Amino acid sequence: MENKDVKKLGELSKEYMQFETPEVFTWCGDCGNYGIQNALKRALALEGLGRQDVVFCYDVGCNGNGSDKIEGYTIHGLHGRVLSLAAGCKLANTKQKVIAAAGDGATFSEGPQHLIHAVRNNYPMVFIFHNNENYGLTTGQASALSPCGSHRNGTPGEVTIPPLNPLQFVLSLGATFVARAFSGEVSNLTEVLRDAINHDGFAFVEVLQACPTYNKETPDEWYAARVKDVRELANYDRADIWQARKLVEDVGDDFYLGILYEDKNRVSFMGTQKYRDGVSTELVEEVKHYDISEFLKDL
Amino acid sequence: MSRISLKIIGQSGAGLLSVGEIVTQALVEMGFDVVADREYPSLIKGGHSCFVIDFSKEDIFALCGNVDVMVAIDKPSMEAYYKDLKDGGIFIHGYERQFGIKKILEDMEARGCKTVYVPTRETAISVGGNILMQNIVLVGMLWKVLGFDYKFVQEQVEKKFASKPKLLELDLRCLKAGFDAVSEMLEIETPEKGEKKILIDGNHAIALGAVHCGVRAFYAYPMSPSSSILSHLANMASKTKMLVKQAEDEMTAVQMAIGSMYMGTRAFTATSGGGFDLMTESLSLAGIIENPLVIVVAQRPGPGTGLPTWTLQGDLNIAMYSGHGEFPRVVIGVSEPTDCFELIQHAFNLAEVYQTPVILLTEKVICESKYTVERFKQNSIKIERGLVEGDDLLNLKGEDRYSVSSNGVSQRWMPGSSEAYYFANGDEHWERGELTEDAEKAKAMQEKRMKKVGLIKDALPEPIVYGEKDADISFIGWGSSKNVMNDVVLEAAKQGVKVNYLHYSYVMPLKEEAAIKFFKENKKVCLIENNFTGQFGNFIEAETGLKFADRLLKYDGRPFFVNDVLNFIHGK
Repeated sequence: MENKDVKKLGELSKEYMQFETPEVFTWCGDCGNYGIQNALKRALALEGLGRQDVVFCYDVGCNGNGSDKIEGYTIHGLHGRVLSLAAGCKLANTKQKVIAAAGDGATFSEGPQHLIHAVRNNYPMVFIFHNNENYGLTTGQASALSPCGSHRNGTPGEVTIPPLNPLQFVLSLGATFVARAFSGEVSNLTEVLRDAINHDGFAFVEVLQACPTYNKETPDEWYAARVKDVRELANYDRADIWQARKLVEDVGDDFYLGILYEDKNRVSFMGTQKYRDGVSTELVEEVKHYDISEFLKDL
Repeated sequence: MSRISLKIIGQSGAGLLSVGEIVTQALVEMGFDVVADREYPSLIKGGHSCFVIDFSKEDIFALCGNVDVMVAIDKPSMEAYYKDLKDGGIFIHGYERQFGIKKILEDMEARGCKTVYVPTRETAISVGGNILMQNIVLVGMLWKVLGFDYKFVQEQVEKKFASKPKLLELDLRCLKAGFDAVSEMLEIETPEKGEKKILIDGNHAIALGAVHCGVRAFYAYPMSPSSSILSHLANMASKTKMLVKQAEDEMTAVQMAIGSMYMGTRAFTATSGGGFDLMTESLSLAGIIENPLVIVVAQRPGPGTGLPTWTLQGDLNIAMYSGHGEFPRVVIGVSEPTDCFELIQHAFNLAEVYQTPVILLTEKVICESKYTVERFKQNSIKIERGLVEGDDLLNLKGEDRYSVSSNGVSQRWMPGSSEAYYFANGDEHWERGELTEDAEKAKAMQEKRMKKVGLIKDALPEPIVYGEKDADISFIGWGSSKNVMNDVVLEAAKQGVKVNYLHYSYVMPLKEEAAIKFFKENKKVCLIENNFTGQFGNFIEAETGLKFADRLLKYDGRPFFVNDVLNFIHGK
């Protein structure tokens, strides 16, 4: 985050504080969710978005327990289904910003089909993908992203099935916005979220986050030692999908953070519904009796 | 004769559909009341299929099950269906190699059936057509046998092939050749010309009802027999501008509908039993967040894939009891197209006003059969949103959303429309939606939601009794049973038996007082239900403590025919 934005944020305390909750947090003390929520509130304040401008959609998981910890219109749905729920929200009223959140269990085990089709349809919304490589809320079971050799509740011995590569997967689907951030680097995450909010299409933001209770193997320090800013790479072109695919293949030692890929040319979902060309109203504004005489005539 | 039943049989994909459509439409033009059902296997091409058309100058709602005239297109279908023709009926065919169907023809003769034969393929070729046009020759033969004016069927053939003038000329020659080759055999009472009715199937009527009542989004995953709702809405979208989206699965479809309804538009989804199974977790979510939701469930026989293209009332239990936890819901059963058109509109009003899921059950025999009905009346059902709007939005507090001091129905408003925001929380919550696990609050919130059951019950219209008092035998049912019972009341009266029928359009919550009263007023009350276990009957018995005198159940994938009920009444 540039200095001028930090300064600006200082002047936006009211805008930031409007989202602040009176409820008691139920996340563990060092949970990455605090950093993510902090960055989200910063991004909203800096983008001039208030409580009437956004709908927050939450999956079930540790992140979902934040559904009443941010002041605003929220909906807390089922495990694995948040992207479909969020898409239904967004299409009904595209004037509202829709920000959805789900973890690695929901996204890559319970409901990967929704991710596939959210990307394919390019629904214009932000998806904050919380990746702590385990099922925190159900006491630390393995997810499809838990690395081989890691120890997880309910898995005998150690994890032996190779994990999926979430960014490689999303890039292969023809995503229009793919970013990675780290919950411990709030400024960077804030910047990423601001760009995601302004992207007209499906913005996939992976957030690497520690789980201090159940994922002892990769604490904050582990990530902090490995993350790098993609902008430090010479000649990196975020419009070049092959550079992005190569970059996300190299996991292990370096995690490049920032916007890894962006396609500004593809229209988002509503723009593909040609039969609605020329309609300037939102679906929520259109509920009234429709005269069906022309259809009865043909019967 | 006033009521006639035609059965046109052929292989799927052999042009059966055109024959059925031409004949049906010509009958409608003449002013007949028509019920037309298409039976077909779950295949793209091949297999036997048939088109059954009942028509009368009086109002009819169901098929009688007794075939007066059978038109056969090919040998395999003759073998499959010839026994359905009643004794003394008329058998029309054009199968040239008669030795191949010797057994069938002998059976016809033995049963006093009259066979009408013209070598249809040869005839088609002799007037310049091709063998595929034998269908049209058969149409001509049928029309003459029925004793009707040629011009009505000619008009329909002209309409059908209007865009293909070369084909039309040949088809008209085939039609005339068939018509001229046979003689009139029946004297059928024709209707006086009133206002022309419309001919429409149930799914089309649901689609039109949804369009009319301001539905702006439809999300679905294809599944027979619900799929044509998706087709109809897609076909109208260029005019209605309704968002029509085929989703990646049923869970998505229902989640998108919940999301769009949460935001404040009208949206719904449609599926069949198997797809509904996948939606039921979402049903429960809508229950706890008090979100309006409308799901159309088009029933076909299960379990499993079951009989995908046949009919049953087998999914009432899942409509009533599916979804984890306890929450209010409304279950509605449609019967014929007018019902479909109106009840889908009421479904939206109930879902929005009471902020809870509504399941509209339909059945294959309603979805895809065509019925003649009065032209739909528009603007007769007010749109009720149950939304806070205008200046009232300024006075809201977040706590109003799930206020327990309300009568059960707390205030709902579109996200973004007021400074007062709330959490639609799938976890148990307190008044503004904030999570709670407090015992007293959890109890109060559950009671608040369940209060709506009583409110809805009081608001629902009373079930309707068809037929007269002092009946010899009485029935209670729901869904398509109304259609057959309407015809049975009239037919039985002609046989000197008084029948009446109590119909539940709104199945849940149950207006049990109506059933209790009906039992009191009638000496023999039976259940009629198109499934094996008598799901609705069990529900009524459990809710009222009453016991049906007898149960008429059917579960072979076929709808109730008028004759099924008459036979039951006569103890056959």
